[in-house]
Amino acid sequence: MADVRVKQIRQACERLDQIILGKSQQIRLAVTCLLSSGHLLIEDLPGMGKTTLAHGLASVFGLNDSRIQFTSDMLPADILGVSIFDQENGRFVFHPGPIFTQLLLADEINRTTPKTQSALLEAMEEGQVTQDGETRYLPQPFFVIATQNPLTQFGTFPLPESQLDRFLMRINLGYPSAEAERALLKRGDQYSRRDPIDAVISSAELAEAQKACQTVHASADLIDYVQRLVQYTREADSFSYGVSPRGALALLRCAKSWAWLDDRQHVVPEDVQHVLEAVVGHRIRAAEDMAGHTSSRLVNELLTSVDVMATG
Amino acid sequence: MKAQSPAVDNISRAAVLWQLIACIAVVLPLVSWLPAWVLVLGVACIGARLMIHSGRWSFPHWSIRLLLILAVGVGLLMTFNRDASLNAMVALLTVGLVLKLLEIYRRRDALVLLYVALFLATSVFLFEQGILVAVYMFFVVVLIVSALISVWQDPLREEMWRPFKLAWRMTLPAVPFMLVLFFVFPRIGPLWSVELDQSSARTGLSESMSPGDISRLTRSDELAFRAVFNDQPPAPSERYWRALVLSAFDGREWRPGSPPNTEVESLQALGGLIEYEVVQERSDQRWLFALDLPTEAPSRANLTPTRTLLASAEVSQRIQYTLTSAMHYQLGGALSDAEREFFSQMPSQSNPRSQAMAREWFDEVNQDVEQLIQRIFRHFNETFVYTLEPQSLGRHSMDEFLFDTQQGFCEHYASATAVMLRSVGVPARIVTGYQGGEWNASQNYLTLRQYDAHAWVEVWLEGQGWVRIDPTTAVAPERIEMSADQFFSGQDGFLADSPLTSRISRQGWLLQARMHYDSINFAWQRWVLNYHHQQQDVLQDWLGELTAWKMILVLLLPTGLVLGLLYWRLVRQQKPISPIEKRLKKLFEKLARQGLYRQPDETLTRFNRRIATTHPEYAEILAPIAQLYENMRYSSLDSEHYREDFCREIDKALTKIP
Repeated sequence: MADVRVKQIRQACERLDQIILGKSQQIRLAVTCLLSSGHLLIEDLPGMGKTTLAHGLASVFGLNDSRIQFTSDMLPADILGVSIFDQENGRFVFHPGPIFTQLLLADEINRTTPKTQSALLEAMEEGQVTQDGETRYLPQPFFVIATQNPLTQFGTFPLPESQLDRFLMRINLGYPSAEAERALLKRGDQYSRRDPIDAVISSAELAEAQKACQTVHASADLIDYVQRLVQYTREADSFSYGVSPRGALALLRCAKSWAWLDDRQHVVPEDVQHVLEAVVGHRIRAAEDMAGHTSSRLVNELLTSVDVMATG
Repeated sequence: MKAQSPAVDNISRAAVLWQLIACIAVVLPLVSWLPAWVLVLGVACIGARLMIHSGRWSFPHWSIRLLLILAVGVGLLMTFNRDASLNAMVALLTVGLVLKLLEIYRRRDALVLLYVALFLATSVFLFEQGILVAVYMFFVVVLIVSALISVWQDPLREEMWRPFKLAWRMTLPAVPFMLVLFFVFPRIGPLWSVELDQSSARTGLSESMSPGDISRLTRSDELAFRAVFNDQPPAPSERYWRALVLSAFDGREWRPGSPPNTEVESLQALGGLIEYEVVQERSDQRWLFALDLPTEAPSRANLTPTRTLLASAEVSQRIQYTLTSAMHYQLGGALSDAEREFFSQMPSQSNPRSQAMAREWFDEVNQDVEQLIQRIFRHFNETFVYTLEPQSLGRHSMDEFLFDTQQGFCEHYASATAVMLRSVGVPARIVTGYQGGEWNASQNYLTLRQYDAHAWVEVWLEGQGWVRIDPTTAVAPERIEMSADQFFSGQDGFLADSPLTSRISRQGWLLQARMHYDSINFAWQRWVLNYHHQQQDVLQDWLGELTAWKMILVLLLPTGLVLGLLYWRLVRQQKPISPIEKRLKKLFEKLARQGLYRQPDETLTRFNRRIATTHPEYAEILAPIAQLYENMRYSSLDSEHYREDFCREIDKALTKIP
């Protein structure tokens, strides 16, 4: 007997599946990220549906959203807002920037300068914006979906490791399967941005679901498995650096949400394995890799090197 | 185009550094044996390789390499004069090694280099066998193994210390094998023998003695021999080590001559005997050393008529022999006329002033030989000087010494005494050898070095036979009471030809350290380097009757030791296995026999899902087990609750799977 909230969220996933064809795994990861109250980074080439996914998510969860298209000449004030002197009242009035929203779509975050990137990431971490000596709280829930092009593309400012760590998950959409692509072509581009998608859940219900996710039980054996995974990334020669304790916490958190979406009251190793690449991929680096493009292979090594059934 | 796979055959930059380290380490102990230009070439090649390594230079063109090879070939031919000696061979190997450094492109080149380095490492032992060298060479082997490991390392990995650690882990387990092989491996005589550095001159006693010969020996602290005593050694003043008896005098030089008696002079011991063992260094001469006076000759040596020891062959390597000596004795019974004449002959024209003075004094003391000796000694004691650097003497050497220079070393005094005794017809002869020695109390042995060389006189006294008199006691009694080392230290000319280190390490803690090192080195020589003499006895003692299976057992011992150690470590790492794990292990073994292997990242559930497509019959059996396993390990319910069910289910499944 599935929980009402679980049903609602699953419904939301199904809706999204209709918008982005053949990417149910990625959609489920994105939803898991949202359920875990974390920020999401989508990394892929242009035109893969990154923005569509972000919009869809905002719509089905009934969140008000805004979007920033990052460019190289953008300044922090363009995101956070700016105080302007009001001549009539004779005082400064704060004009909130696009960041004052529930779901912020930060498009092509690696196009802008580190200064602007860090302003956004600061706000993501703190959940508040301080400007002109005044602290303003961001609305709750606050969820950032950032997209970025692969770093090999020309004219990008790669996010440093410390800022990548702020994102709970990083996912790739990838090309659709042949079947999904045929369906997409048949259907045409009918879901334009303007088309309203009905929300299936209110933000209050979402907050409830988020809370429920964290009540999922993680047994000692499971925690042991997570710890062994993390330990491996720190000790194996093929890793130049391993997962931080924050990364380990994130992994467990996401695994709980994934289990909850399965309507299970306990986490099983498969849950961890499902979210592993998305949570850990951007927090590790191969020993011989300077650009960070081999995380998929590395996560695979991690998975196959740590025996899930080992005890002790 | 030739198919090339650069990644496969390339070596890492760390590997090149390891090769350089290994090369330097292996050539270092050979430095004193190699011609200077080879060393210069070595340093140049290593420097060039470093420049190439850092990318500042490129590899030399083939024409330059060819030129180098030709130049080196000519150099070797000229240096060694077409003489295929050991030094030449080692120099050739060294040159090959350092030149190879300049053309290491691929793994194969590096392997050639390192194999040559290993060969060169063994050849170091042809020159030196001391314990320090042995320990050092062990490190060198570890370094070469490190280099070999690094050659096979992934070229993309720049890990400097990993090969070194691995090399230790690989070399240390070889030590027990090494020890066992050392003890039991049969020592086979060499199939061919190489003359080891025949060119280098040896310092040591020579067969004749003329003024200045022995004082020259004090410039060296080279080891002559060591003597091991069971308890206390004789007092310093009784430590006369006899090597040669010189009886023929030509006015300047003393030679052994050939005495008319061919039988060994009789020896009558007047006190206790003392037994000891002598470990003699290589001398390239035939004589051996014995305390005055040896009762009998060791094996492979003979007693000469004058009771010195003569080996059957030249002492061309370190030898060891056991002797018994009488410290108080009567030597010789009666003297025949021929002998009397032989031992008192001297050229009548030589040293006229000395002869005249001797005759005058002899008359003064009423022809009493003992009083004449006293008179001579008193004369020495009055005005003479004992010095390490006497002035050189001419043809009538004793006249010049006695009347003009009046300064000399033991050979001068001994020679003068013998000349004066012979002038009045008293039989006298010179004995050369060593006197004193440094006592190492911790290991009970005496060390005799070249600076302990000495000469004294034996005079024939009626009724007493040959009696030892030492004129040096008259002029410098301290020389006999103390060791030569203590007595001479600080004097000009002492140890003038020795390295600075041996000159400064003669006091305080340095002396202590030197003594300790010396005793360790001596133990090494006796028990390790000379082991082949004792091998048969030692093995007999340990193993009793030697049989083939006992040998095999002993050879298997280190294998067992190493394997046992590995097993112990393995067992220690393993935790006790629970009944659930035991059953799971059995289950997976059975499934593996069916060709179904669980991947490490697969939980039972996922594994089951995978095999369901190919082996639905097993999946059906596994499904309840997987569910129970998941509940047991991961659900929030009490795991005890599921344990029994799980065990029961899995037992059931085990019976169903063949």
